Order: sequence, then structure tokens, then C-alpha cells
Amino acid sequence: MNQLASHSPWRSALQGVREAIPLLGGYIPVALSFGLVASQAGFSTFEATAISTLIYAGASQFLFVGMIVTGAPLWLVVAMTLLINVRHVVYGPNLAELLPRSRHWPWLMHGLTDQVFALALTRLPQLPEIKRFSWFVGSSLLAWGVWIVGTAVGATAGEAFTARWPLLGEIMPFALPALFLTMVAPRFTNKRWAAAMGCTILAALGLTLSGWSNVAIPLAAACGALCFYTVKFQTRSQPS
Amino acid sequence: MSIELWLAVAVSAIGTLLMRVVPFLWMQRRLGSDTGINTMPQWLGILGPLMIAAVLGVSIMPVNPSTVSWLATAIGLSITLIIWWRLRSLGWPVAAGVAAFGLVEIVATL
Repeated sequence: MNQLASHSPWRSALQGVREAIPLLGGYIPVALSFGLVASQAGFSTFEATAISTLIYAGASQFLFVGMIVTGAPLWLVVAMTLLINVRHVVYGPNLAELLPRSRHWPWLMHGLTDQVFALALTRLPQLPEIKRFSWFVGSSLLAWGVWIVGTAVGATAGEAFTARWPLLGEIMPFALPALFLTMVAPRFTNKRWAAAMGCTILAALGLTLSGWSNVAIPLAAACGALCFYTVKFQTRSQPS
Repeated sequence: MSIELWLAVAVSAIGTLLMRVVPFLWMQRRLGSDTGINTMPQWLGILGPLMIAAVLGVSIMPVNPSTVSWLATAIGLSITLIIWWRLRSLGWPVAAGVAAFGLVEIVATL
């Protein structure tokens, strides 16, 4: 009752905003790059920003613009865009137990990207149930807003920006692996989880290095799941 | 953009949104119903953390791969892990890791 009375949705949303800030290190450079690539491909600032606002899925947006430029048939462009995003299907069910019911989910789930999912799956279990909805709204809206603004800036001034601070575009994206490392590190205390996690990370890195980054996430996770179910560690029997 | 292109954007956007919303709502309904399930299936609980590990694996790749950027990545991740081990929080380890990564990159350009 006390918790209910002292709860402030704004404070929880601001906590979500604060905790999503590390994600921006990865979002800003990629959004700037997308804006730049889209404008170089002939899209106007409004069109590039509209794509970021509506589709809001990094890899598939690059593919969408790239395929349009090469003159691929539109049905194939749409099919490939959706195929890349099919990994999102498993994100929602993982969060279903952690989030309260609300009529706003049909539009709020638009903000469920790879990064927001990873952050939410790690942080939501640590938060009181009453704070979770506002926390998710705060963190996902910040990420979405920055993605849209980053695209608009990239489309209008991306070239000048990257020419002036070339190193910034290399340093800022490191916030993403650093953040994800702090999220997976707690699982490494268990041998079975450590093996599955290690297998997943190496598979994802290997697939990315071989140019398969578009399918690296679902394939690597499948490898990790296979490892989790097949590799068993013997527990030492206690001497009688 | 032509009308056809706007339509392609709309279909891609709606399709992506449905892939995010429908499984979430379906699972929430199943969890709450008498005839449905009371807890999440075990395989789904395993796949969630593995997806995060996969996103980590993909994001480890530096923007411009080179000996210096891979070295900076290794040092940055090590610093992140050490600070995480001491503090067990999200913010400071990330800040320290990015600072270490940036320092290596900047020193290498001098």
C-alpha cells in the first residue's frame, strides 16, 4: 500500500531514461550512418526519418535502402526486411511475464528493439512490479526518439559530422558491447550457462566476421541453446 | 518516394510491429488464463539470455576492424568486466570500458 502511494510514474520513467543512456552510444552513430546512407541513396531527410520512425529496426533499414537503390523488386525488399526482423518474435514472450497488462502495449511494443529487449530482460526482474510499465515507456521512448533525431541529423549533416569527429563514430559504439557484457556476466557463475553463453558469443562473432551479421543473432542463439541442452557437466559426488 | 515505395515502408513497418506485439500479447493472455499456462516455457527462458549473448557477439566487432581496434576492444571489455566485478552495476562499468577503449584509440593515433 505504501509502495503504491509513494509510486511516481514520472520518476520510474526517468529511471528508465537514465538507464537507457548507455544504449545511445550505439544508437547515435548507427542512426547518423543510416541518415547519411539514405540521403546518399537519394532519399530526402523527411523520407529517411519516416523510415526510421516507422520501421525502427537498424539492420533491416540499411537492407531496405540498399535493395531499393539496386532496383530489387518491392515484394522482395519487404520480404527480406521482415525476414531479418523475424528474431523479434521471441522477445515479446520473454517479457510477457515481467510486464503488467495494458491497453497501450500494441503501440508501445514498437520500441522493442534488440537493445531495449536486452536491457529490459536484465532490469525488469530487479524492479518492483509497479515501476515496470513506466520504466519501459521511459527507456524505449528515449531510444526511439534518439534513433529518429539521429537519422534526421545524419541525413542533413552526417557527412560534415563524421568528417569533423571521425574517432567519435568509432569510440561511441563500444558502449553497446560493454553494456551487453555487464548483462551476460552474471550468468557465467554457472558452468552450463557459461558454456552456452560462450558458444553463443563466439558463434555470433564468427558469423559477423564472415559477413553473416543479418542472421547472426538467431543462428548464434540457436547454437547456444543446442550447447545448453547437449553439454552436461557432471556434479562431483560427495564422499560418504 | 513513389506511392509503391511508401506502401513497401508501411507493410515492412506493420509487419515488424506485429512480430513485436502479437507474441507478447499472446503470451500475456496465455499466462493469465485458466486454461493456459502458468509459467513461461523453459526453452523460452533459455533463449532470452542467449539472444542477449548473441547481440553481444555481434556488437564486439569494431566499426573499423584493425589491430588497434581489436586491441582496444580487448582492453575495453577487460576493464568493463573488472569494474563490473567490483561494483555489480550497469553504468560505471560501461563508462570505464568506453573510456579505456577511447584512450587506446586516441593514443594509437598520436
